[in-house]
Amino acid sequence: MRIPYFPGCTLHSKAKGLDDSTRGSLAALGIELTELPQWTCCGTVFPLAQDNYIGMVAAARILANAAKEEGGKLVTVCSFCYHVLKRVNYVIKNNLEARKKLNDYLEENYAGEIEPVHPLQICKENVGLDAIRDKATRNLKGLKVACYYGCMLVRPASEMNFDDPENPTIMEELVSAIGAEVVEYSYKTTCCGSYQILYDNDLVMQKVEEILNSATAKGAEAIITSCPLCQFNLDWSQEKILQKNAGFQKIPVLYFTQLLGLALELPQESLGLDQHYVDPRPLLVGA
Amino acid sequence: MAMDLSSKISRDLIERIKEISGQNANLCMQCGTCSASCTGREVMDFPPRQVMRMIQLGNTKALNLKSIWVCSTCLICTARCPRGIDIARLMEALRVINLRQGREVLVAEKIPLELLTEVPQMALTSGFRKLSA
Ligand code: SF4
Ligand code: SF4
Repeated sequence: MRIPYFPGCTLHSKAKGLDDSTRGSLAALGIELTELPQWTCCGTVFPLAQDNYIGMVAAARILANAAKEEGGKLVTVCSFCYHVLKRVNYVIKNNLEARKKLNDYLEENYAGEIEPVHPLQICKENVGLDAIRDKATRNLKGLKVACYYGCMLVRPASEMNFDDPENPTIMEELVSAIGAEVVEYSYKTTCCGSYQILYDNDLVMQKVEEILNSATAKGAEAIITSCPLCQFNLDWSQEKILQKNAGFQKIPVLYFTQLLGLALELPQESLGLDQHYVDPRPLLVGA
Repeated sequence: MAMDLSSKISRDLIERIKEISGQNANLCMQCGTCSASCTGREVMDFPPRQVMRMIQLGNTKALNLKSIWVCSTCLICTARCPRGIDIARLMEALRVINLRQGREVLVAEKIPLELLTEVPQMALTSGFRKLSA
């Protein structure tokens, strides 16, 4: 099965490990991601001002281009890309005025036919968790994993229609399927502070400490996420937190696709495990 | 200080916020669910519930709050408001009124170099889209 794929701006550089491990693990599961022939940054954030159509143009163009490919779906894995593509698509589908304005601007005739999908959904709905269980030959038994969703995947529930907005479980189901142990904790859909890292660093440090402490208190040995910004905030901040609080316990923060790739026995070098601030390799591959 | 709801400045502000956000802040019953859930609450000067009250009253001080800039548009408040108000859109309206007048808080030169070179690209795009004019 081939599905058009939108990597987004960060996956060809700072989050290359997410790109490689997503393509690699889905390929191992029989899904080939074919990168859109032309794409730009999606704009990353969905404009919340009603009159800000220009903030939707980039995402609308990506969707309209994806509609020229076969299959009617567009895969994207970064939580921000998924959020903005899904919401702009929703607007184009349901708001005739917005549809007309965006189409006039782009000189397109796109009505929201594309279904933006996330690899977590592909794993569950297209591949199936049982098939993944069979293919996950590397034993991750005993590895305690906390799943972190953050804000963009699940909210607003009416438009994202992704999973339960307060208690999503799709990532946990995948973790169980590949044989690792799920750690339940309270902070999985709170926000890490997001782009506030650039403006109010303290806010992010505070949120990260809360999230990580809540996971490690429940025995988590690793955290997984699908968002390059969550990954960065949760990972990069740990050294700073440790400087202020000597009792702080560091924990590796990975992309869920890296864990999936390990379980599927993809070559370790292809997963970008060396690109994190808190090195996950001692825990995962005994390096 | 009591707000004079009839003052033209207040009425204009209420109207503009309504127009940009598409939300009716008058539905807010001041329960505080948004404040209790808010990601930025510890570093805000006024929590979302109080911002909602200022918007109801057309209090122009709402435009100068730190709160509107430390809102990370995480949508927890929006998801949980029992009155169905999309609070994040109201926060955005307050930012947007500032931004359209050239008032911004994120300035590239002020971002520490160690961060600027390390953050994922999407952080810069989203930060500048939300916090700079
Ligand atoms: S949650 Fe809604 S009703 Fe309650 S204080 Fe906040 S805005 Fe008002
Ligand atoms: S969207 Fe903004 S105001 Fe609402 S909870 Fe998140 S940070 Fe707070």
